Amino acid sequence: MTIFTIDEVTKTFTNGEVDEQVLKGINISLREGEITALVGASGSGKSTILTIAAGLQRATDGKVLFEGKNMTDMNQDQIRKIRASEFGFVFQSSHLVPFLTVEEQLLLMLDVSETKLKKREQQVEVEKILKLVDMDHRKDAYPASLSGGEKQRVAIARAIIHKPKMLFADEPTASLDSKRSKDVMTLIRELTKTLNITTLMVTHDEDMLTYADHIITMKDGLVLT
Amino acid sequence: MNIAWKEIKKNKAKFIILGSIIFLVSFLTFIISGLANGLSQDNAALIKDLPDGQFYMNVDANETYNLSRIDESVQTTVLNEQKDAAALSIQMGFVNDMEDKQHSIAFVTSTDSKSFESVGKGEVILDRSLEEEGIKVGDILTNNQFSGEFKVKGFVDQKKYSHAPVAFINMENYKEIYRVNEMQLIFVPGTEKAQVVTSLQSFSNKEFLNTIPSYSAEQMSLNMIIWFLVAISGMLFAIFFYMMNVQKIGLYGILKALGVKTSRLFGMMWYQMIFITVIALGLSVALSHGFALIAPKGMPFSLTLDTTVQLSIVFLIIGFIGATLSGLQIKKVEPLQAIQQGEV
Repeated sequence: MTIFTIDEVTKTFTNGEVDEQVLKGINISLREGEITALVGASGSGKSTILTIAAGLQRATDGKVLFEGKNMTDMNQDQIRKIRASEFGFVFQSSHLVPFLTVEEQLLLMLDVSETKLKKREQQVEVEKILKLVDMDHRKDAYPASLSGGEKQRVAIARAIIHKPKMLFADEPTASLDSKRSKDVMTLIRELTKTLNITTLMVTHDEDMLTYADHIITMKDGLVLT
Repeated sequence: MNIAWKEIKKNKAKFIILGSIIFLVSFLTFIISGLANGLSQDNAALIKDLPDGQFYMNVDANETYNLSRIDESVQTTVLNEQKDAAALSIQMGFVNDMEDKQHSIAFVTSTDSKSFESVGKGEVILDRSLEEEGIKVGDILTNNQFSGEFKVKGFVDQKKYSHAPVAFINMENYKEIYRVNEMQLIFVPGTEKAQVVTSLQSFSNKEFLNTIPSYSAEQMSLNMIIWFLVAISGMLFAIFFYMMNVQKIGLYGILKALGVKTSRLFGMMWYQMIFITVIALGLSVALSHGFALIAPKGMPFSLTLDTTVQLSIVFLIIGFIGATLSGLQIKKVEPLQAIQQGEV
């Protein structure tokens, strides 16, 4: 079942007097519970389409439909609410909040998503997810004391703690070595399948494509396959 | 989750430094304010401690009480009409104690009144600061313009004029010293509107204080220092909160990307600002009042809780405005930009 549709999306950046069209009518459909990988050379527009889909920037034209609702017609606060409760993000850098412990990072995300879980249930949920990403032994650690791989695992935990319907991952393994990259991708795959999360992922790394259900190749602002 | 408090807990040093600056600036302002009030009391406690009322001086005196001479018939008429009114004169002078040591004082004399001390001929009531200089009740004081002697009848607290202790003397003795028959002023206590008296000009207590040249010049300078300090503090607060916010732009962007409301980020900033400012001001108020207790006796220092609370409220408002203005950047932060800038 299609949960997310990108329909004829274009994006034009204005640089001084010069208009540069980086997306030239993109059409993508994402099915529930599947991982779709966006690949392509630098400048092909894959990160731009990911951030538009995630509601982090607006398309110049076209529609972005999430569960049938057109996000391009929504105001900033409506998009924020969707980002907080229905979407999860994993970026190249972990972007953890430096003054929160691992456990607090996840509790914050539950708080932001306006979860209906009670305090005790939140605690149980956090412990469960931290076990899933094998970080339960570091729950009181601050980001500064974590390794790159650990940080990224916490970022993944934070992205899924509130059980989002969509996960957006922008080169989630870019800052990791090949072993850690495989671990992280295995984890993303396991979690998205277990929790039935639809994932849109940008990657440069061909080794990571084995974890995807679908691969979309982009070139010069267009979808090739 | 109170993320503002979590940040304070994790970054104690940063917040202690910011709090110290607020503490130091507010402490300095309170001390200067205490000195200004102290000097003001030292200069005019005699007038400031009077109940609200009206001062009258001769129209021809050009608003200078020293030049005022109130006609005796006018004085009698006014004193008959206003039962609590008093005619008075103030003149700077000297007395010599029993060891022939000279003390600078302000001679004050008045007709019978609740507002001023009544003394008999040859008697004097002094401000208590002279007791600290060694003068005792029963001591004999002299003045080279006065044929007789003054016997010290007692002391009163906080009666100063033009930075000198006040000496209340009998009107007959005053007339002999200064070779005058008329009084300079009439004081009518009460909050009613001033009555128009022919040939006399009326002044409220505050207006009268401002006719004393040394008082207005001194207070203007000190008040200018205080308000400059307040303005500079405001700018300092704004700059420091701005620096703090600039450092956190990336963090705000990430939190926004996760779906944190902009209003919550403002709340976080205000919480931190109020937390630091209230603690710093509380410490400042406590220490400045503590200083009042240990300040040298001769130092004119007077700090009331009202003054520190009022200034603290001004500081809080300034801090709030400064933090809010600098926090306007939060509204402009683009989550995408923060994500692209890398780790916070």
